Amino acid sequence: MFFALTDEQRALAETVRDVLADRFDLTAVRAVFEDTGGDGHPRELWRTIGDQGWLSVCVPVDQGGLGLGLVDAQVIARAFGAGVLPGPWASTVLAGEAVRRFGSSAQATAVLGPLGGGELVATVALRGPGGGLGRPGIAVRATSDGRLYGMASGVEYAAVADLLVVAALEAAPETAPGADADATGGTAVVPVDGVGLYLVDPCAVGVRVAPQSGFDGTTRLAAVTLEGVLGRRLPGSDDAALADLLRRGAVLAAADLVGLAREALRRTVAYDSARVQFGRPVGSFQALAHHLADLHVAVTMAEHAVLFAAHAVDSTPADIPANVTPADTPADATELADPVDVEPVDVDRVDAVLAVAIAKSKASDTARDVTAAMIQYHGGIGYTWEHDTHFFYKRAKRLAAAYGDSGDHLAEIARTAVGPMS
Amino acid sequence: MDLTYPPEVADFRRELRAWLAAELPAAWAAPGFWTTLGEDESFDLRRGWERRKALAGFGGIDWPTEYGGRGGSPTMAALADAELARARAPRSVNPLGLTFLAPTVMAVGTPEQKTGILAPMLRNDVIWCQGFSEPESGSDLGSVRTRGERDGDDFLVHGQKVWTTSARHADRMFALVRTDPAASRHRGLSLLLIDLRSPGVEVRPIRQLSGISEFGEVFFTDVRVPAADCVGGLGNGWATAMLLLSFERGASAMGQYTDFRRAYDQIVEVARALGRDRDPSVRQSLARRLVELECLRYHALHVLTEVERGRDLGFASSVTKLQWSQAYQGLFDTFDEVLGADVGLDHPLGEFGESGGLDLTALRRESFWTRSVTIWGGSSQIQRSIVAERVLGLPNSRLA
Ligand SMILES: Cc1cc2nc3c(=O)[nH]c(=O)nc-3n(C[C@H](O)[C@H](O)[C@H](O)COP(=O)(O)OP(=O)(O)OC[C@H]3O[C@@H](n4cnc5c(N)ncnc54)[C@H](O)[C@@H]3O)c2cc1C
Repeated sequence: MFFALTDEQRALAETVRDVLADRFDLTAVRAVFEDTGGDGHPRELWRTIGDQGWLSVCVPVDQGGLGLGLVDAQVIARAFGAGVLPGPWASTVLAGEAVRRFGSSAQATAVLGPLGGGELVATVALRGPGGGLGRPGIAVRATSDGRLYGMASGVEYAAVADLLVVAALEAAPETAPGADADATGGTAVVPVDGVGLYLVDPCAVGVRVAPQSGFDGTTRLAAVTLEGVLGRRLPGSDDAALADLLRRGAVLAAADLVGLAREALRRTVAYDSARVQFGRPVGSFQALAHHLADLHVAVTMAEHAVLFAAHAVDSTPADIPANVTPADTPADATELADPVDVEPVDVDRVDAVLAVAIAKSKASDTARDVTAAMIQYHGGIGYTWEHDTHFFYKRAKRLAAAYGDSGDHLAEIARTAVGPMS
Repeated sequence: MDLTYPPEVADFRRELRAWLAAELPAAWAAPGFWTTLGEDESFDLRRGWERRKALAGFGGIDWPTEYGGRGGSPTMAALADAELARARAPRSVNPLGLTFLAPTVMAVGTPEQKTGILAPMLRNDVIWCQGFSEPESGSDLGSVRTRGERDGDDFLVHGQKVWTTSARHADRMFALVRTDPAASRHRGLSLLLIDLRSPGVEVRPIRQLSGISEFGEVFFTDVRVPAADCVGGLGNGWATAMLLLSFERGASAMGQYTDFRRAYDQIVEVARALGRDRDPSVRQSLARRLVELECLRYHALHVLTEVERGRDLGFASSVTKLQWSQAYQGLFDTFDEVLGADVGLDHPLGEFGESGGLDLTALRRESFWTRSVTIWGGSSQIQRSIVAERVLGLPNSRLA
């Protein structure tokens, strides 16, 4: 029984923190944040990240990577969250995971080496404008010969990416896509057979990348329009693969959120310990101190939940079916002779689907609460552009909604714990 | 990261599970069984059961063998809690003795106290209660007024304790008593072991909000207590009391999680029975409660890992208390939401009065009980102050 980071993982966390403090502090973050016309991708930082091996954390050893898991990746993600760090690390790691898990060995060989070494910026395009989590949110369709049509929105760092991983709906083989859509007025429904993940070169003809402005200057987002570009299908991809990728994305986002929440709390405690009003530090007032104590409890729980979820994903085989729901439908009320007699649950059970939903919902809510409190408990200075509070608050707001917001994940938890909705 | 157990722990778990399956009367596990019994009957059954458990070698799991324990690891003790909860074994009748007094005696007791107190406690020959709170001393424990006047080799104790859990069934009390009225607040205290059968002791039950009387008040009029029955040194009661309370820190929340998770699953079953499982707001509320309960489980794994590594959690144990008490209490707020308009009925599906498929008596009693868990053992306000000042390092709130 060992539920903690190993010494190596702790050392990794410290290294990332130290290197970032040394090379990319909040002044550097501010420069990127305010350079709204820039690509948000400081090259020197990227080189450091590549040199340190932080891009190759999940790349297999035989592809030149570290061959570690999501538990290690979340160590780095937390430190990046704490530093509100710009750059396409998370999107690149996640795109690498898609290739590692669902690509052919030729695809893996072509992509993972360069990706791990920092020579390749990659990202994932998994949802359309306004689209939610998973298949219903996708607005790209693939023809049977691999041509992609449609749009993805809010794609991190698409404008600097060398490689896109695009989720596309796949029509049933007998249907001719396009033809059907025209017949029903262009908007409608081609029978969808499944989902595939495709590698796309963003510079190819038939791809347009248009930067989208957004409030979180610690990242850059773009819309990607696909007009018949040929994608290279990841042969292992399907609905379950998409669900797996979304879970990994959710764990990395949740890790970033707990890292930034912990740092936001630390900074708030430091400020309120020093700020004096009514002749005493404002941090000595219970109204404020007790709220910060509750937030400490919440951040601590979110940290545990992210660690557990990362471990659960690492230790779960690839074949969890998508949209898992309990097979048994709820019994009829009249049959419940003993309705409160339930099977006990073991303390050491591991369920990746549930664990990820719990981690992302807890981390999202906690990071939003902590960063809102950070503003409140800095008073007027906390509401200025000049102060750093808004980096934390804005990044938390964006990431809280990435890879499923709290509501999405609570709905997933309810499906698992309470049963299907209908 | 490794969530598996070493072979000897896995074997122990299997052994305990088998023993429970064989020895625990099936009727006891039926939901609501304990609510059908009177308080005395329930106490006697549990007392006897716990004694049999100890005689079978499943008491004092992590106690040293020299005190009659099993000599097991903290993981074994935590898993035993979870297994007992899983099997629906009844709660201990000696929790205050086992959790608090026993480790204190092991740490600072005299050899006579060790032999005289530990083994009889494990067998439930002696039931202990905790006499800390008084009418004028609750959160501010250092202000206790019950006094002990020296009289030869004895103390004569006068005063009153209140909210004393199990006061009516207990044989002895470990009490915080002011033995030196001249010394300042925290200095003049001693931890005395008082025989509740002594002349001058009067116990009165207090009926609780839930309707039952698990606690009471205890009055002392010239009660004679040998000075040898002081644990941790005369005048050293404050330090001894702090040491004693610190032993809750090692306790992992595994058993609690198992209990609460069963309550959760029962509440989900009630939602289904009432057709409330399709209500989006009930579903979201239930999902949020599960998030907090599962976080408690992860936290229990964390605490256990730290304890196994020999680390003292120190003030961080306040985080554990806040999480378990609030997750547990919150769960029953959702129970009310599940019941909706029928929240006031004990048998919402009963056709004429009492009969019907759904007996909520036990869950309802538990629901009322959860109002107390944020008060005893250091109220949530006190815990938050500890986290703020001792964990986060915020300035002391008592600064002028
Ligand atoms: C079910 C139950 C069982 C119990 N069993 C035992 C037992 O076996 N033995 C025993 O000795 N005691 C027992 N107690 C008593 C328990 O320890 C006390 O109730 C508790 O310490 C609170 O003290 P109090 O009731 O005097 O409340 P008070 O201390 O008067 O508190 C009243 C309110 O003020 C708040 N408050 C107090 N101080 C502060 C502060 N500094 N800052 C902010 N808020 C503050 C409290 O949180 C509470 O909300 C039991 C209580 C209950 C409910």
